[in-house]
Amino acid sequence: MGETILEVSHLSVCRGGQPVVEDVSFALSAETDTALVGPNGAGKSTLVQALLGLIPRQGGSVRLLGQELGPRGQLPVAVRDQIAYLPQLFAPTGPLPLTVAEFVALGGVPWRQRRQAVARALALCGCQGLERRLLSELSAGQLKRVLLAFCVVRPRRVLVLDEAQAGLDAQAAEQFHNLLFDLRRSQGWTILQVSHDLDMVRRSCDRVLCLNRRLRCQGAPAQALTPPQLERLYGKGFVPYAHHHHSVQP
Amino acid sequence: MSAQSAPLLLLLGLPFMQRALLAGLLSGALGGLLGSVAVLRQLSFFSDALGHSALLGITLGVLLGLDPTLVLVPFAVLFALLVNALVQRSRLSADALLNIIYSSSLAIAVLVLSRFPRAGGGLQQLLFGDILGVSWLDLGLMAAMLVVTVFGLVLNRRAQILLCVDEPLARSRGIAADRQRLLFVVALAVVVALSIKAVGVLLISAFVVIPASAARLLARSFSGYQLLASGLGALGAVLGLLASAAFNLPSGPSVVLVQLLGFLLAVLVSACGRSGPAATAGWPGRDG
Repeated sequence: MGETILEVSHLSVCRGGQPVVEDVSFALSAETDTALVGPNGAGKSTLVQALLGLIPRQGGSVRLLGQELGPRGQLPVAVRDQIAYLPQLFAPTGPLPLTVAEFVALGGVPWRQRRQAVARALALCGCQGLERRLLSELSAGQLKRVLLAFCVVRPRRVLVLDEAQAGLDAQAAEQFHNLLFDLRRSQGWTILQVSHDLDMVRRSCDRVLCLNRRLRCQGAPAQALTPPQLERLYGKGFVPYAHHHHSVQP
Repeated sequence: MSAQSAPLLLLLGLPFMQRALLAGLLSGALGGLLGSVAVLRQLSFFSDALGHSALLGITLGVLLGLDPTLVLVPFAVLFALLVNALVQRSRLSADALLNIIYSSSLAIAVLVLSRFPRAGGGLQQLLFGDILGVSWLDLGLMAAMLVVTVFGLVLNRRAQILLCVDEPLARSRGIAADRQRLLFVVALAVVVALSIKAVGVLLISAFVVIPASAARLLARSFSGYQLLASGLGALGAVLGLLASAAFNLPSGPSVVLVQLLGFLLAVLVSACGRSGPAATAGWPGRDG
């Protein structure tokens, strides 16, 4: 068991006065890839936003990289800089006069090193040649890769993805997944990703957390994603959708 | 020298016209600069609401016998803070709430002014602006505000851009979105209050929205976008004022009309650019 990167204890979150996440506890070890699955409205996005301090929590505690998350979501800058977040609905509306290079540089690099750091991040994410393109001109797949470049422009230890493959066609989703897999290995990231793609979760995640307001089960995908567990999580008659992948990484 | 340009040159030599041109330059640049952020953060309706509600502040000043400029700045800031707090807490959509607030403020102000005919005598100037009545004090305040705005935008550049792109992403990077919004709204309120005399209650939002929207269509980088919005705002204001002086037209509407022409030109250029090769460039990635 490696170093504990994230420790969530009895976390509860309400939205509009209604409990959305209740009494959730789990921990993530270093350099593991953990999926958070569950039906729509199960509180997955709320949970990841609460543990990053983006929305207030009603109870419980969160420790990220050994630091307690403050009551109003405060984290020391040095800790926050090591965590990257890819939001669910990242798509600029209307013309956005911001180049890919300008955007990636905002990931947090000193002004003097920005050209080198941006070029390196774009190369890592397969986005060479996009530097001068506007963010609003990119396809959904390109946008996701550029967002990853925004994350890798400086060293991070934790990556939190909220349905990163949403809005991508099967091929683009597979390409993004493969890129993520490569980067996770080369960068030594600890990943927590919200996903509906149970096939991908089975193939590449070390652990899975099954959430439906409360944590229903957790463990290795082979143990946690059995038909009886899935029926308990998603309801009776649930048939998991099988994604067809063009290339499968080990 | 044509018969029309001779009186125009004479006019340019007059102090009130020089002040008017300077006011146009400053309010146009300020409007464009703040508009560049307001348009992307979908706060342009906020400037409209602030402008319309400013009439209530002016009414208060007139009733209290005070200089409207002195009343208007604190009124606009307080009003902006109040509206911002309401928008944050209300379950209604921001545009519906802003519409209710600004139309009610406008109605109250016009009703009050109608009860005091002497005070409301200059209603047309209040609604459409009287750029020729701008004083050196107004100009000094506008210049100071331009410096503060540029400084504030440079200092908070990363935060403001990320908030324009995606608020959850910005917050995940530790940016205090609420504080940034508050700072921006206060700056917008001050600029609206300072520009009201020159531009008028009804037209102020055009100064914020039109140059920024034109620049949004043309710019190929964020820095270029802000410079272009500011430049188009200033240029439109100066050209509009010159046209107003040359053809004896009201100043505020003349400026807005010039800005509109600039916007239409930007739409045309942008539409031509979209059909060019850049729009169809492929994905050069390794596996795409």
